[in-house]
Amino acid sequence: MTDPRIEQYARLLVDRSIGAQAGWQVLVSTTTEARPLAQALSRLLAERGAYALTRIHFGALYPVDLDWIEAAPEEIARTLPPLEQELVDRVDASIWVHAPEAGRDPDTAEARRAMRIHGLAYRARGRAGTMPHVRCDFPCAAFAEHAGVSLAEYEDVFYDACLRDWDAERQRMEPVLERFDRAAEVRLIAPGTDLVFSLDGRHGEIDDGHLNVPGGEVFYCPVEESLEGKVTFGDVSELVQDVRLRFRGGEVVESSAGLGEELVRQALATDDGARRMGEFGIGCNDGISRPMRNVLFDEKMAGTIHLALGDGFPQLGGRNRSDLHWDLVLDMRRGGEIRCDGECVQRDGEWLL
Amino acid sequence: MAPVNDPRVRQLAELLVERCLDVQPGWQVTVRSTPLGRPLVDEVARAIGRRGAYALTRLAFGSDRFRVDSEWAREAPLELLAELAPIERYAIEQEDARLTIRAPEDTSAGSDLPAERRRAIQKAMEPSMARARSLDVRWALVQYPTEAGAEQAGMSLPEFEEFVYGACLLDWDVEQERMARIKERFDRTERVRIVGEATDLTIGIAGRAGVVSAGYRNMPDGEVFYSPLEASAEGVVTYSEFPASYLGQDATNVRLVFREGLIVEATADEGEEFLLQTLDTDAGARRLGELGLGCNPNIIRYTHNVLFDEKIAGTVHLAVGASYTYSGGKNSSVVHWDMVKDLRPGGELWCDDELVQRDGSWLF
Repeated sequence: MTDPRIEQYARLLVDRSIGAQAGWQVLVSTTTEARPLAQALSRLLAERGAYALTRIHFGALYPVDLDWIEAAPEEIARTLPPLEQELVDRVDASIWVHAPEAGRDPDTAEARRAMRIHGLAYRARGRAGTMPHVRCDFPCAAFAEHAGVSLAEYEDVFYDACLRDWDAERQRMEPVLERFDRAAEVRLIAPGTDLVFSLDGRHGEIDDGHLNVPGGEVFYCPVEESLEGKVTFGDVSELVQDVRLRFRGGEVVESSAGLGEELVRQALATDDGARRMGEFGIGCNDGISRPMRNVLFDEKMAGTIHLALGDGFPQLGGRNRSDLHWDLVLDMRRGGEIRCDGECVQRDGEWLL
Repeated sequence: MAPVNDPRVRQLAELLVERCLDVQPGWQVTVRSTPLGRPLVDEVARAIGRRGAYALTRLAFGSDRFRVDSEWAREAPLELLAELAPIERYAIEQEDARLTIRAPEDTSAGSDLPAERRRAIQKAMEPSMARARSLDVRWALVQYPTEAGAEQAGMSLPEFEEFVYGACLLDWDVEQERMARIKERFDRTERVRIVGEATDLTIGIAGRAGVVSAGYRNMPDGEVFYSPLEASAEGVVTYSEFPASYLGQDATNVRLVFREGLIVEATADEGEEFLLQTLDTDAGARRLGELGLGCNPNIIRYTHNVLFDEKIAGTVHLAVGASYTYSGGKNSSVVHWDMVKDLRPGGELWCDDELVQRDGSWLF
């Protein structure tokens, strides 16, 4: 029997996240690992009278054709096929579902970069807020394995985080938005971290199950040149640990890592924008009880914040551009503090608002 | 999933990309398949990439019979089903080449789709089919061996793999030369007569040039075909050896009577209703769109799969419905149903007054 939560999840994506309307052309990008969800999405879009333009690939990290990317000459591999670009420019909405297979990673740094470029190109209009778009996951074996839990356990955590009363979640997040919207300066203090940046003139956005599922964050683009100080990200991934970054004038001027220093160096060297912060996000999802080594999830966990190196969001006033958007999560629940213009608004992950 | 190291997969991918499609740098090549076609889909995507061209991969779950998502097709409003999404329509007009890799999960998938839905999809696909029939776009169709395909053919998977690769990985230049001689004989023929069990049918092909299919649009390939003169077919043909299969449905012992090119009588033991429905689809569905001569030396067994069966050396096939405009055909229809007549058990092929094939063997 199919898990009834898949149908509920599909409804959330179709009816809330993108709000599909009759006659729309809706792009659905995913992999063969997400078959039950892809099929449910097709049925629902049909019921709403919308076209389903499905792009199913074999399970790479991103739902793109990695075999082609790896074999094509570099300059070709870095561009979407013109017909796919046309599709991206013309669709009415898109649903972008990660569902990787274990072990299907790009075979070179170049292929990894091209894969990221494809991902950003497919999601560009959605990320810029000019089209309904949701980026989400399907809970598949590779995610569970990565998190070190059984698939059944992963599914439970996943659906608890996703299948929520999102109107109520929005209400809960509004005071957070309100406080940070009127903050000029934010200071983050935690073990190994003392970072100051400006949100002056910037407004934030609440993700209440629209841009990402799971949703549950309030996010901003910090003023690009304003970051000063140091930050330490502990458990980034199994390949990258204890990343220490020092910012001056908004730019990373020093970096080191306990593990995976070369990967950090490569990421920072992606392009000019990769050395600056594109996003400051505040995790607000109470349904996430534990990190799952999956940034889409972990960055939403209440009591965490995240900073993304690289590409920002133009609709939030962000000016930073990059082929990189690397979300790094900082757990504030043990000894962390967030200050807005000198006022402590969160301590040890608990709001003082 | 375990890596597939069968060198035949890569050979087939190269044959498809290099010979069949002759992919050029910068081309956009649509590749359709199901998840089961993975080894070949991946090799094809890589071969396209190496040529500096774009692969547009389109995997569909379940059925590769219809070019729309089968879950979507079951529920979508009929008027949406009958028109491709504008973006897909545009892509179909712009793509430089297309490859369909049949890799069925279930060979009858999609056959339970109601007839009106099937017709709506056929209507939606017509602009795409028209481009293919006129060779306005380079295209190829190939079978990838899956369990379901093997079962349909009555073989084990390893046996079916042997069969598929044996039929596909031929020296197609040699085959082309062999078939050119057959074309040469038929090109100077006015009337072809097919004689066999419960069959005596005459078809005019005067002025129509044959097409030698030697490893281009079908894989396996191996046929010489003509677009018959539309008003010429006279007589009767009975497909008593093999069932006639179309869109996952079978009709057995199909008997068709032709007068001035038109089917005036059609009967079948099983599937007669489907046969009659199909013939009544549109005006062109009661006329012949193709006369094909099977020439693949490695296809001997019937496998319940027209892509192979119509290539069996010693068979002919006649398609009711659309003809290929690039072979001079003028019959248009959304239907193209190839029915295969086995001439090996006592058949004859005549070119005007000369007997050219007896019991499936050429006499020249």
